Amino acid sequence: MAIFNFKKREIECKIVYYGPGRCGKTTNMEYIFKTFKKQVVGEMVSIDTEGDRTLFFDFLPIGLGKIKGFDIKVQVYTVPGQVQYRSTRKLVLKGVDGVIFVADSLAVRREKNMVSLKDLQHNLKEYGLNIFKIPLVMQHNKRDLAGQGFPIMSVEQMEKDLNRQLKVPSFPASAIIGQGVGATLKECLKLTLVSFRKNLQLGR
Amino acid sequence: MNIAKQIKTLLQEAELYRSQGLLDEALVKYHHAEDLIRRHEQLKNRLNLIDAVSKKIRRLKDEIQRIENAPKKPEVSTKIQDLIKKLFTFTPNLNEDARALEGAVALAKFGQFKRAILEFKALLKRDSLRVAAAKNIIRCHMALSSVDDAVAEYEQWLSDNIFLPNQQQRLWIFFENVLNKEGIDKILPQAKMFPHDVKDQTYEDDRLKIEEVKIEDEEDLDINSIGITFERGSLKEQIFEFKVRFQLGKVLSLLISGREKDLIENFKVGTTINDVQYYSNIAFFNGSGLITAVKKIKIGPLRGDYCVDIEAAIS
Repeated sequence: MAIFNFKKREIECKIVYYGPGRCGKTTNMEYIFKTFKKQVVGEMVSIDTEGDRTLFFDFLPIGLGKIKGFDIKVQVYTVPGQVQYRSTRKLVLKGVDGVIFVADSLAVRREKNMVSLKDLQHNLKEYGLNIFKIPLVMQHNKRDLAGQGFPIMSVEQMEKDLNRQLKVPSFPASAIIGQGVGATLKECLKLTLVSFRKNLQLGR
Repeated sequence: MNIAKQIKTLLQEAELYRSQGLLDEALVKYHHAEDLIRRHEQLKNRLNLIDAVSKKIRRLKDEIQRIENAPKKPEVSTKIQDLIKKLFTFTPNLNEDARALEGAVALAKFGQFKRAILEFKALLKRDSLRVAAAKNIIRCHMALSSVDDAVAEYEQWLSDNIFLPNQQQRLWIFFENVLNKEGIDKILPQAKMFPHDVKDQTYEDDRLKIEEVKIEDEEDLDINSIGITFERGSLKEQIFEFKVRFQLGKVLSLLISGREKDLIENFKVGTTINDVQYYSNIAFFNGSGLITAVKKIKIGPLRGDYCVDIEAAIS
């Protein structure tokens, strides 16, 4: 949950990259860390294990500057994608304000995408959050792999599989070359801030 | 496509998946290729090909094995542990003690048991957290499979007399339950009896009164949400968290959607759920809960949903 500090005029929120193992969540974050130097306000922390798999989480603090006099601080996390880290994923998701679901475009990962999205829905629900209501953006990653001979799914297929009911903004991306990374994050931040504003208005 | 071409494509795909770290997918492709090669005896260099692909499969299997055997929650550096404590202490406006407890619990949740034990040990000095800290130390030792260390620690606490008699007894019951759950046959040194069971109550009585007040305070805590882990049934070992709709003393009412049939079936009136986490504004507590009522809501916008009452027993 976002932390509003009215005394310091500061808002701190949490964005989580979610998705199946090896879909490119950490790659997204690495690109943000390398490219958006102005916004990055600390070191990227990555805890990985054998085979470069994220173990607990990746963490990157960024700052968006001032919006309406409030300093906006964002904590960006990735979750470990492998199925066996379910409890860690749930822990990292706690207090989330906005989610970026990174789907793998590889045809062989179709089912894993769907299982991971279901897992996201389940974990959000356990925190009393609704996947249809939380600021959520979808990214269809690894579009570049088509050129390397991999069978990949069409965007239409992925939208049908994953976004037919959710109808959230989605972006094709190739995180390894940075394509679509910034647009995905920006959209998620925008949705998250709009959601804050709505909630604040409701709370008045 | 001719067979040679099919095999070549499969091997290329396998390499591509391997380069993406998708080892299981790569393995499937290699097996498929190997199978095709074995089935077509007319292939040139067939035996060499089988040998080469088999080697790749072996190496891949080793790699998969190595990843699977890597510790799931290895100890990380102190710097990362500090970060975990900082990032995963969620409850705002905590006092120093409660924050320290939440930080240590976060460490344990991320499998940093050795550091967590050190932090919990420091919390044994704080009156309000002593029992919670002790229970978590036992849990951490058990998670590290060091039952003997847990028992030794417990015996040390008894001999140092750091717990009040009723706290000792609660701790003994808790530890006994933990050991029973794990199927470990260990005889724990008995805790002191409750002072009201003891004839000579002169000094102990005063201490008991203080402790009784403390327990009442704990019982009157406002609980915001609870986490339940089912021990049996279709949802065995699954964790569910619920917001508390309202609270009357120790009885908490939860609202469960009528669509959650599996969940509702697991709430049976009169049964006790032994693994419950109670979250208040200041900290969270472990305990058990007795299901006292499961009622279907018959009118209003929540019609069809269920109201489940749980009587909290915070340890």
